[in-house]
Amino acid sequence: MARSTSKDAQALFQSLRSAYTATPTTLKIIDLYVIYAVFTALIQVAYMAIVGSFPFNSFLSGVLSCIGTAVLAVCLRIQVNKENKEFKDLAPERAFADFVLCNLVLHLVIINFLG
Amino acid sequence: MSKSLVVFTLITLLPFLCYAFSPENPTDRKVLVLLDDFAIKSSHSLFFKSLQSRGFHFDFKLADDPKIALQRYGRYFYDALILFAPTIERFGGSVDSAAILDFVDSGHDLILAADSNASELIREIATECGVDFDEDPAAVVIDHTSYTVSETEGDHTLIASDDLIKSDVIVGSQKIEAPVLFQGIGHTLNPANTLVLKALSASPSAYSANPKSKLSSPPQLTGSAISLVSVIQARNSARILISGSLSLFSNRFFKSGVQKAGSPTKYDKSGNEQFSVELSKWVFHERGHLKAVNVKHHKVGETDEPAMYRINDELEYLVEIYEWSGKAWEPYVADDVQVQFYMMSPYVLKTLSTNNKGLYHTAFKVPDVYGVFQFKVEYQKLGYTTLSLSKQIPVRPFRHNEYERFIPTAYPYYGSAFSMMAGFFIFTIVHLYNK
Repeated sequence: MARSTSKDAQALFQSLRSAYTATPTTLKIIDLYVIYAVFTALIQVAYMAIVGSFPFNSFLSGVLSCIGTAVLAVCLRIQVNKENKEFKDLAPERAFADFVLCNLVLHLVIINFLG
Repeated sequence: MSKSLVVFTLITLLPFLCYAFSPENPTDRKVLVLLDDFAIKSSHSLFFKSLQSRGFHFDFKLADDPKIALQRYGRYFYDALILFAPTIERFGGSVDSAAILDFVDSGHDLILAADSNASELIREIATECGVDFDEDPAAVVIDHTSYTVSETEGDHTLIASDDLIKSDVIVGSQKIEAPVLFQGIGHTLNPANTLVLKALSASPSAYSANPKSKLSSPPQLTGSAISLVSVIQARNSARILISGSLSLFSNRFFKSGVQKAGSPTKYDKSGNEQFSVELSKWVFHERGHLKAVNVKHHKVGETDEPAMYRINDELEYLVEIYEWSGKAWEPYVADDVQVQFYMMSPYVLKTLSTNNKGLYHTAFKVPDVYGVFQFKVEYQKLGYTTLSLSKQIPVRPFRHNEYERFIPTAYPYYGSAFSMMAGFFIFTIVHLYNK
């Protein structure tokens, strides 16, 4: 077995990037959305580590709203992906409607728990 | 109509109800004095006179008078009893040791003086009060170092003792300079009884034995374990004085000079008068009887007493404490009265500050614990009656709308939640219109 070098790693990333370029724009937008949500959650965890956990319910709702958003977006991405044969019978419109409904419920809960 | 009649009757009866003995207002008190013979009335007249001048009414009776009675139909005729009958074997009338103990149990005071050859009855009453006289009937307290110097050498049974209880409230704030003369029997305190105190102790060299016979075996009672005069304050505030010597209260001892053996100072007058008068003031509640009134508590800045507090409330607690001085209720001044905020254990223990006019006050914060609390004042001080107050008060947690809103620390969390909503809105638009 050949020893892995930095060239191999570069090659790996290269192939990953070229493969990802082929991904439809819709999915790319969802990915961006997920990254945004996860990043916001990380910022809040870091903030909590600095100022302490005092309004703990606010912290929980802030972080959980981000995580919930990310999870729902990932679910949407799975369902609208054309290559995903499991959901080929499910219309993307139906998937999007589910996503919107779940988000409404999530944010309703978050607002109630925030203050 | 009938209701107002009842109220009217009650109001007219009120003065008569108040006339009954009450430690809350002990004036015009009647004292029964039981004597062996009426000679004691004149030989101890100084002691009686001092009490009479302080407003006590005496009823002198022979102890075997068949007409003596302490009570009828549960009403006591007397507020206090002086038993100057050391040799009586059986009281006359319906009085016996149980009746005397019932008298004390119902809150009345007792002065009991025994003497050498005290009777079984007197010993029995004393034992019930937690005081055990020497069992040998012929034994008296002998002290070969603290006796009184007299012309004849004597048998050293006339003791000059100055080992008084260190309590201003029991023996008075004025120091008793001269030693107290004592001639009589010694007793020990029952160690199981925590209420009985030595008012006058024997010196470490004293012992209890028959002075007329040779000492063949070591005496039973020795040293400062011997108490000469003891006082008891029962839990119901009844006070008892037990003396092993009747002559301690006699005019002869009151007036006689005293010089303690080995001491150059000679006093013209013994400390007996001051000692017995001050002690009788304590026994008859003219000193050291406390009452607490007007217990109040409220939130800081308010005057009404709430039915309930919330956790972390700031509150004030006030109580007025007075001491009976024999004539009126005087403000009680002390710096050691404490209040507890109590639920199973004290969560807050605060010393109350006084304004020297009887009002005690403190302020504290309700702990961050909810439940049913009590304000408790448990004041137990040597010589004073026990104050035991408790007042129940529930403490509730914050209501849901009493919590802080919009805490500055939490603004980033609020921001992130709303940015998620905004993100969702934008994402929806982008997702729908990106084809």
